[in-house]
Amino acid sequence: MANPDPIPLAARYGARIEALAAALAREDENGFFAVLDEILQSRKPALIGELRDLTCNLQVALERFRLDARLADFAEKEIPDARQRLAHVLKLTDEAAHRTLDLIERSGPPAERTTKAIQALASPWKRFRERRIELKEFHELLKRMDAFLPTARADAELIRRNLNEMLLTQAYQDLTGQIIRGVIELVHEIEAALVELARLSGGEPGTAEPAAPRSSHGEGPAVPGITQGELAAGQQDVDALLSGLGM
Amino acid sequence: MSKDLKFLVVDDFSTMRRIIKNLLHELGYRNVTEADDGTTALPMLQEGDVDFLITDWNMPGMAGLDLLKAVRSDPKLAKLPVLMLTAEAKREQIVEAAQAGVSGYVIKPFTAETLKEKLDKILGAVAK
Repeated sequence: MANPDPIPLAARYGARIEALAAALAREDENGFFAVLDEILQSRKPALIGELRDLTCNLQVALERFRLDARLADFAEKEIPDARQRLAHVLKLTDEAAHRTLDLIERSGPPAERTTKAIQALASPWKRFRERRIELKEFHELLKRMDAFLPTARADAELIRRNLNEMLLTQAYQDLTGQIIRGVIELVHEIEAALVELARLSGGEPGTAEPAAPRSSHGEGPAVPGITQGELAAGQQDVDALLSGLGM
Repeated sequence: MSKDLKFLVVDDFSTMRRIIKNLLHELGYRNVTEADDGTTALPMLQEGDVDFLITDWNMPGMAGLDLLKAVRSDPKLAKLPVLMLTAEAKREQIVEAAQAGVSGYVIKPFTAETLKEKLDKILGAVAK
């Protein structure tokens, strides 16, 4: 380090070094240490200043080191984990939606069957109630009713079971919700670490240009409070906009 | 319009394709094929027997808007009815799709009635 002091070394220390050498030569212990202490005293403020700088730098380095270790941990473990957790969420929601669709598709035919059977019974039943039914048709009606009652009961039970299972399938919301909440917390921690990193490296916040979205690729569903730009309020709004364009 | 119309439903989420397919079945349209993005859909369209295209916008690979533009720039497909069924709800995007020649635009989440109404409207206009 260059010495900023403009006074030459000889002027500052020459006399004292000579006194020190003289004291040494005559084995004057008291005189020697008195001069030495004087020299050391004169260096004290500079030493303390240097020590202070050193401590401060060490502290920043330690902070930086702690932060670097935390960031490395994010990069090596926690972010890949979070990615896997989100992929699992995608899988769970996909499975739940397909399971629900399976159950809906399986409930359609029994419902349809019941509707058709009721339609077929309606007119002979009406004639019976109006006492206009022929004996042969009456016997036919009884046979149909005998067949209808157990079938309708089985179909209704099947639909009820399917509805119950659909109910249980919705548990995915709880499971995926917990995983997503964990990932939100992680994102929050990463945000805090990055803010700290920006502070330590003295970066100005908000000076970088945000990345432009690829508009032709679409942006996905609008998120309240995040998505910028004018949004259509609903299908009616879309229809009005398009008809305004002559569609 | 005939119920034998062949539909191609393009969406990257299989659940959404299944929902649309079920709704089309409910409306009596039983001839429905699927693709998971524009890249797979375009060759299927070029084979030439699709009568109606329903597509999402935001998909990996080729997005719906690019698929629409590809369809409109292909002389054989230029008149194909294209319904955009998407979560993209920005006004500028809707205008962009209209300028690219979309036949109808439905935003997600949608109802069975909305889908039916738009299909009928587009098919009615085609029949005229």
